[in-house]
This record gives sequence, structure tokens and C-alpha cells, in this order.
Amino acid sequence: MTPTRMLEADFAVARRTFDVSALLCLGPGERLSLFGPSGAGKTTCLEAIAGTVPLKSGRIQLDGRLVNLAKTRRRRLASLAEQPVPPLERGVAVVRQPTTLFPHMNVRANVAYGLGGREPQGARSIEDLLEHVGLGGLAGAMPDALSGGQRQRACLARAIARPFRALLLDEPFSAVDAASRSTLRSIAVEATTRADAVAVLVTHDLAEAQAFGHRIGIMDDGRILQLGGTDELVRQPATVRVAELCGYRSFVPHESGKLWALHPDRFVEGAWPQRGVVLSGIVRSVQPFGPRFACEMTPCGHLEGNGADIVAAVGPPLFGEITPGQNAVRIHVDAPPRVGDTWEVTSLSPPLVSRVAVMGGAGRMNDCQIPAAIPMTD
Amino acid sequence: MFELSRRAVGRIPGAAAVVASVLVWVVLLGPLVVLLTQISPHSIRANLDQPGALAPLWTSLEASSIALGCMVVLGTPLAYLLARGRVRAARFIEAGVVLPLLMPPLVIGLLLIFLLGQAGPVGRVVSGIDPNVFGVNTFFALVVAEFYESAPFYIITAAAALTTVDTRLEEDAQLLGDRPFRAFRKVTLPLAAPGLATGLAIAWARAMGAFGAVLIVAYNPAGLPLQIDQSFIANGLSAALPFALLLIVAALPLPLLALLWSSRALGRHQTRITASAGS
Repeated sequence: MTPTRMLEADFAVARRTFDVSALLCLGPGERLSLFGPSGAGKTTCLEAIAGTVPLKSGRIQLDGRLVNLAKTRRRRLASLAEQPVPPLERGVAVVRQPTTLFPHMNVRANVAYGLGGREPQGARSIEDLLEHVGLGGLAGAMPDALSGGQRQRACLARAIARPFRALLLDEPFSAVDAASRSTLRSIAVEATTRADAVAVLVTHDLAEAQAFGHRIGIMDDGRILQLGGTDELVRQPATVRVAELCGYRSFVPHESGKLWALHPDRFVEGAWPQRGVVLSGIVRSVQPFGPRFACEMTPCGHLEGNGADIVAAVGPPLFGEITPGQNAVRIHVDAPPRVGDTWEVTSLSPPLVSRVAVMGGAGRMNDCQIPAAIPMTD
Repeated sequence: MFELSRRAVGRIPGAAAVVASVLVWVVLLGPLVVLLTQISPHSIRANLDQPGALAPLWTSLEASSIALGCMVVLGTPLAYLLARGRVRAARFIEAGVVLPLLMPPLVIGLLLIFLLGQAGPVGRVVSGIDPNVFGVNTFFALVVAEFYESAPFYIITAAAALTTVDTRLEEDAQLLGDRPFRAFRKVTLPLAAPGLATGLAIAWARAMGAFGAVLIVAYNPAGLPLQIDQSFIANGLSAALPFALLLIVAALPLPLLALLWSSRALGRHQTRITASAGS
């Protein structure tokens, strides 16, 4: 019987400044990306799942086997009480950062370490597997002779050579060039699917997280702030902090009561493929508006829309709205422009948001699928 | 002129360092050179050809080997415990290990009388088994005294060497299917080997040369250091020197080789560790 839940984890790990806690449930073949700033506790989560750090509370089960359990007084006393299985029976494969190749063994011996003379999974031989990850001809090399990227490849090969139930990847492709990265990623995905196992990837690169996972968990200060589909996170961030971590830098209140989040990288200054929407405007007036300034500008030309439409000015991404009937734009800015300045504006009304974002850059900017502007839900 | 004097001033520290180095080197190695020049092949033959003259050498070699064996078997796990520091009492254990290192050997000898002699409760039990085998002034007492004088050197050096091995490597070996002991043997031990060898080398030299404690509790099957002392008192310097040479020849080559090997191996591993940390 295949368990519908492959990995069940509900735990807290004590760290010096804060506890790292998570509640995760993954099915067979499912991949999760943990995304967040450095120091958020992502690596600690992986170590907890691998069972290499003691838990403060909770338990972690992999394929029905207990891999980590908080030490309670009762467990210390009763040796007959349930115990986590020893590391060798956990079926956990890890790729760590910095890499942990055995420095006194060559690449071949490293990859063969856990095999006990058997053939590696999904390859005819170790040489075959090494060729697959792009290390053909380096079987005899010692780890200190390899580059950072080559060491990461060797670690991945070592991890997927054995049968595993969980593949834990800690920034596994950080030293690999962009082209090989997608190859290695697909090798990891393929191995996970073949083994019907779960995979957890830790990364601080959102594009990487989106490309690898079925779901993304966004971590900050030891907690998973939001766990959802790869699109859900960037299109419907639950909180302002989540939006910030996804790269939205500007938050502009709108009169509809909603907060709009803007992603600076999604705007391309001066390069607007859909030129029809972009208009120059001359700043007519500047007035204080809360902590910011409201400036009215008149586009040199006609701008379609009504009061609910969102407008962005080219330059530092800004936000504004069309004043109905007057063919004027009101924009809220941090630094006031001078009256008479010329700005370019374009409509970013919701149906256009994604188009601007997608077409603004060269299709998909940084491989990252994030809209330029989104309304916050709260 | 100004340039010249400044250059001359700049040379002073370098020259001082050279002079100091030569001085230290001469002071450290001078006696050895003198020993080699003072001693004549004739007197060596005369002293060592006597019947039973080599017995102290064999006694010392045997006792030191046994002490070293115990050290490796018992001391390595202790060193590992200290290196990993998972036990809360690690600091206290470490202090306990260092204590014999800090105590004067003569005092250790006196304390060992309590351990092995009839005066102490432990001694009464131990020597009660067979006072001729386990009492004071037996081969057993010699091994114990040598162990006391040398084991801390091995344990402290070994702990330092084991600390340098990344725990994540051990964890990975276990996750790759090793039982803890196999992971230790295949990963930790080879990586710590240079440091362990250094520790063993120092301990061997200490055990072979152990004198202070031995003088008090184990003077009967005389080891080489005691033989030197007895020859010196009975027949003077010329009689003692051949045994001194013998001790140096027996005690030094092994440690020197181990030290040379480990310093080379250590350098090799260190570049590897920094290289992998830099990725």
C-alpha cells in the first residue's frame, strides 16, 4: 500500500535567536521549494527532516517511518518507547551547502560510497551517472581538484545513486552556470519521480523555487509564512511581508481601499513593447498626500480608463490613477517632481498587468514568473 | 646615505630572527651533537656487550607498546567524546585528562603508590589478585606509570585532530547507509589520521622516556631511563651515555617519521577542507 502521505512533519527546532517550526505534508512524488532570505531557517528545516538536528517538539515521519522525534522526559526514561529509525534506514538523500564530499576519496569512490557494490539507480554504471550529471572523465579526480559547481554535481550524483524516500537539496545548484542548472534540476526531478519520493529544495532564488517545486513554502524568521502553488504565492501573497520577500518593493494604497504591490524588476525603463499604451505627460501640480506627494499630470494624448484604472509612470515604478473625465493622471510619489517635467505613463489596469509584466522584459525576466503589480488581499 | 641606513635598519629584525633561530636550534640540538662526539664505539660495545645489558631496552619497548595499545583502545573513544562535546561534562573530563599532564611526574609516582600499593583500597584489591604481577615494582606498575605520563598527550592531540573533522561528513556517511562505527572508520579516522599519528608519536616518546613516576613505583624491572640513572650513579657519565644513545635511537625514529608524515598529510587535507568550504 502506498501511503498518500509520504512526508509528515510537524516540528520545532530551537535556535539561538528563534525557533524554527514547520508543518509540512507531502505526497509521493511531490516536490516542495522552501524559499526565503538567508538565516530564515530553511537549512534547519532540511536538517530536521534528515534527522540530524534534535527537535524541540513534534515529530517527523517519512514513508511511515519515524525519522525525528523530540526528546521528552518520558522518551529518555522508557527505552522501549518509540525511537526514530537510525540514519542508515531513513532513506534520506542530501545535497548540502557547502558541499560535503569525502575529501580523502575520489569522485567515483564518493558516488559509490552508499552503494555497497550495487549499480546506481537509473544508470547502468557510476561512469554513466557521472556522465549524466556532466562529470564525464572526472571519476578519478579528488574533490579538492574540482570547481564548486563540479562538487555540487558530484554531490547530487552521490545522493541520487542510492534508493531514497526523500531528496533534500540545500542550494544545490548555486555554483552551477545557468544553462547546466536546468539540466541538473531536471535530473533531480526525474530521480524524485522515478523513486516516487518527495523532494525539498532550499533556495533564495524565487525563479529556482518556481521551476522546481509543485508548491513553494516561503520562510522568514523560522516560520513558513505561506505555503501554496508556485503561482499562488506571487499572485496572492497573504501578507505584505510575503509580497516583500517575493520582490514587491513598493506598496501603494489605492482609493478602492486596496493596497497595490509593485515589483520594480518587472518594469523595464524606457522599453515598452506595447507602445500604444505609453504616453508622455506633463506634470501640472504637486501636492503633499500623506507621507507622499500627489502630482497631477496631463498625458499628451488620450488615455483610456476610469478612476479604478491603475497607471504606472516610467522611471522608478510609480502608481497612480486616471482622474475620470479630465484625461488627467494622479500619481503618488515619494519625491516630488517639478511642475512642467515630462513623464511617461502607461495603463496597468488589471487585465494589462500581466501583459506588461510578461512583455516588459524579454518574455520572462530572470526566469521568474511574477506580475508587475498585484492587489493585496488584505 | 639616508637610503642606505634605512635599508640597514630594515635588516635588523631579519638578522635578529636568524640569530635567535640559530641560537635556539643550537641550544636544543647541541647536547645531541655533543653526545654523538663524546661517545666512542668502543665504550658502546663495552657497555652493551655485557650480559643482560639490553634487557632494559626490551622492558621499555614492551611496556611502552602495551601502554600505547591501551591508549589507542581506551583513549581514542575518550578523545572522540571530548571532540564532539555532546556530553555536558566534556569540560570536566578534559580537565581530568589534562591534570596528569600538569602534575610533576614525581608526584604522579607518589599518587600511583596509593593506586597500586597496599596502602590504598584500590591497590589492596588490585594487588590482592597477585602482588607479584599487579603490585608496586612490577612490569604492570611500569606500564601504568608510563600510561599516566604519556596518555594525556595522546588524548589531547587526538581530540584536537578529531575536532577538525566536519560532523556533517559523519552524518552524510550514516545517511548513505553506514552504521556509526563504520562511518567513524571510513571517514573520521582517515581524516583525523595525521593528527592521531602526531599524538601517538609524542606519546611514544614520552612513554619511552618516562622517568619521574617510574622511579617511585616501578624501579624493579628497570626500563631504559632507570638503567641510565643507575649506570650514571654507579659508574659515571661514560657508562650512562651508551644507554642514553640507545634510548634516543629506540624512542625517536618512529615519532619523527610520524610527525613528518602527518605534517605533510595535514597540509594536504587542509587545502582540501578550505577548498570545499569555499564553494
